[in-house]
Amino acid sequence: MTDLAVNGNDGAPILAVDGLRVEFRTDAGPVVGVEEVSFAIRPGETVCVVGESGSGKSVTSLSIMRLVEFGGGRIAAGRIGFRRRDGRDIDLADLTPAEMRAVRGSEIGMIFQEPMTALNPVFTIERQLTDGLIAHKGLSAEAARRKALELLQEVRIPEPERRLKQYPHELSGGMRQRVVIAMAMACEPRLLIADEPTTALDVTIQAEILALINRLKRETGMAVLFITHDMAVVAQMADRVVVMYRGNVVETGSVTEIFEAPQQEYTKTLLAAVPKLGEMRGRPAPERMRGFAAPGSKTPQQPEARPARPRELIEVRHLSTRFPVRSGLFRQTTAHIHAVEDVSFTIFAGQTLSLVGESGSGKSTCGRSIMRLTEPSRGEVLLEGSDIARLDSYALRRVRRDMQMVFQDPFASLNPYRRLAAQVAEPILNFGLARGAELEDRVAGLFDRVGLPRSFLRRFPHELSGGQRQRVAIARALALNPKLIIADEAVSALDVSVQAQVLNLMMELQADLGLSFLFISHDMAVVERVSHHVAVMYLGRIVEIGPRMAVFEDPRHPYTRTLLDAVPVADPRVRRSREDRRARTLPSPIFPLGHEPAPSVYEEVGPGHLVIVE
Amino acid sequence: MNYVLNRLLSMLLTLFLISIITFAVTNILPGDVALMIMGTQSNPEALAGMRQSLGLNDPLIVQYGHWISGMLTGHWGTSLVFKAAIGPLLLQKMTASGLIVLMSMLIALTGAVPLGVWAAIHRDRWQDTASSSAALFGVSLPDFFWGIVLILLFARTLGWLPSSGFVDPGTDLGGAIAHAFLPSLALGLGLMAHLTRMTRSTMVGIMEQEFIRVARAKGLRERAIIWRYGLANAIGPVMTIAGLQIGYLFGSIIVIESLFNYTGMGWLTYQALLNRDIPLIQATIFVIAAVVMLTNLVVDLLYVLVDPRIRLG
Repeated sequence: MTDLAVNGNDGAPILAVDGLRVEFRTDAGPVVGVEEVSFAIRPGETVCVVGESGSGKSVTSLSIMRLVEFGGGRIAAGRIGFRRRDGRDIDLADLTPAEMRAVRGSEIGMIFQEPMTALNPVFTIERQLTDGLIAHKGLSAEAARRKALELLQEVRIPEPERRLKQYPHELSGGMRQRVVIAMAMACEPRLLIADEPTTALDVTIQAEILALINRLKRETGMAVLFITHDMAVVAQMADRVVVMYRGNVVETGSVTEIFEAPQQEYTKTLLAAVPKLGEMRGRPAPERMRGFAAPGSKTPQQPEARPARPRELIEVRHLSTRFPVRSGLFRQTTAHIHAVEDVSFTIFAGQTLSLVGESGSGKSTCGRSIMRLTEPSRGEVLLEGSDIARLDSYALRRVRRDMQMVFQDPFASLNPYRRLAAQVAEPILNFGLARGAELEDRVAGLFDRVGLPRSFLRRFPHELSGGQRQRVAIARALALNPKLIIADEAVSALDVSVQAQVLNLMMELQADLGLSFLFISHDMAVVERVSHHVAVMYLGRIVEIGPRMAVFEDPRHPYTRTLLDAVPVADPRVRRSREDRRARTLPSPIFPLGHEPAPSVYEEVGPGHLVIVE
Repeated sequence: MNYVLNRLLSMLLTLFLISIITFAVTNILPGDVALMIMGTQSNPEALAGMRQSLGLNDPLIVQYGHWISGMLTGHWGTSLVFKAAIGPLLLQKMTASGLIVLMSMLIALTGAVPLGVWAAIHRDRWQDTASSSAALFGVSLPDFFWGIVLILLFARTLGWLPSSGFVDPGTDLGGAIAHAFLPSLALGLGLMAHLTRMTRSTMVGIMEQEFIRVARAKGLRERAIIWRYGLANAIGPVMTIAGLQIGYLFGSIIVIESLFNYTGMGWLTYQALLNRDIPLIQATIFVIAAVVMLTNLVVDLLYVLVDPRIRLG
């Protein structure tokens, strides 16, 4: 690209936010979104704004684009200095809407979190790539098309000519995010604002997108404002870091200053809550997260006197789950999605087995199949010797007492119209285990157990935070004294500090009650913290399984290595310079009727450490 | 193509079920065709003879077989009231009512889409309140109320348009439209109110989508964002809802056509019901059902044109 000279780093900031204050109109009067926000970005620099939900990081980025006004917000005070291409210094907060439109998309590009919804579903990729060019540069349709093609090549999308004619739903998530980036880069902006651009993506795709942003920055010399909640991504991307909390800037500094000598208490807490991949090297048992002792809990300790070989609780043998693909007038089955294919593993009493993999790998279906929330197609699930897959509905109901599930979204898994006490009591009532005063005692005891005050008993779900709600979901799962809890991405929707507390609670419950967990997660760093055993899933199969130390420290399957390699590490000194590769198209597990895939055959590479033989 | 075939097949299946229900229900009605032809004063022997010759003493299943094979081969029988072949009669009345249904739909959409979009982009401000109140007013009042108001205003006071009668569009298209206009407007106003509300809520949902924000971040004009990005996504759902209202319109024309003395399907249905003209009632229900289903098939096919995500198959 050609703007290198203009964007050249002469030290003067391209963007200088000074004392920004944004208010939102509500029925109860104005509410402050952010206040006293000040920071600057120089050309060629990446500044990361990091914070948890409600910190005001997105409000800040939307204010710079003046998009906050469309959401009922108003810039009440402060200056957003921006140096234009022609060298003039302007205050973005002062521009008229028409003047601002000329800056938006032309000199400042923006990319958003959700590639699935960021593109207009009814327009072709070409139309969406060209309309900005036509609006800002007055290109002819033909010239705009040529430029669009160039942009798709620039973001390394395979078969760019074909993509131009396609609609968004025909592209994968990673590919769509590349299109969104191409759109933002269309007019060669001097500043790129990336608002959680990889949060909705799988870790391998995230690595690709981060590498792409870095390459584009290098080649064009543009400045990047990167908004994220993920400290690991900050460590990998940032030159300088702005830490935000509840609408205020807490701390600003270079990435090494922030990570190695944080000054503020909040920054320290935030950093402590982030599990770092590799920090469990050489430690066989799971360990609590530091600095998050729940009130009244015991000092962190590991029970050393474990029996050499713990009891087997659940043994899954050759489990397969297929979903029919239906079409035609009578909705006949025309193909099958092989969501889970010949999967075998064992969960030991009092231990955690983690299923890791990317979206579509079949890890959630696997968890649901074990509880028969989804009917498995074949295979056995032996719970202490009896085969769950064969039970009639009456016997299944009894067995479900021993297995409970905690889901990802604590907003969706609690009934908004019922008091929390009633929801936690429900499974107990369901099985007729207690009534009256005894029931109340048990429910109150469960609230104590998960660290919720008893005053919450009479509350409704909307009165609680996300982390508190997830505690209620765990209390409900504990109500029947289960032997196994299946936690399906149970901490993925939580802020890191809350995530750390919930993880500690789960480990505490395991130590105290001898619970087993099937921990389904995409987050390798969290999995490293909590697991005894790990199984890596890819396209419905377990490709590698074994003790956590073996899988993490001696990964044998290429996919396990790719996965581990793609995880950003929350340490700016362990930066991985990654080559920016072309976007890949992922294979799909849809097979025609009657297709019988080969059985999974494993090679034992170490004690209990199995790798699939292709 | 496969999809259209599938849809037509399932339509035939539905029509078959409708034919059974229609036939069953009209046979439960008190009185029979023989009685309607001969009159209540006729002597019992002649009545019995008539019943025998009409096949009314056959088992119901046999009667149904006769009727449905007649319908399928184009022998729709003779109307008892109009003493005319049902087929040509229905065709003529369907054309008359088709004009009204089409015009009222056009009137409703031309008003509802801009109004709904306008309300949506001024969400929670006075424009929205005004439009919502007007729409609520519109849906709350029955069609014939608007009919009366329109007759008083445009026919009596201003004298611009005829208040009653029907002109065949084949002989005088201008006259036909003039005569169909007031009944169409009476039907269209209520429909417009309904569709305005639907357009508004669809548009409100769409304007909150991320791709609208992305379009703004590209620096596009707000007008282009609303009328191209927004509306292109709203048109499909609004069209579907409009299509579903066709059935409702065929119900409403019974009152409206009688009010305007417009001799279309509605007026015909009313006459058939009033006089227990059973063959005509059966054929009318059947034809209206078929037309409603066909228009909805057309709407669904049009949906494919506005939304590439819908795959037919």
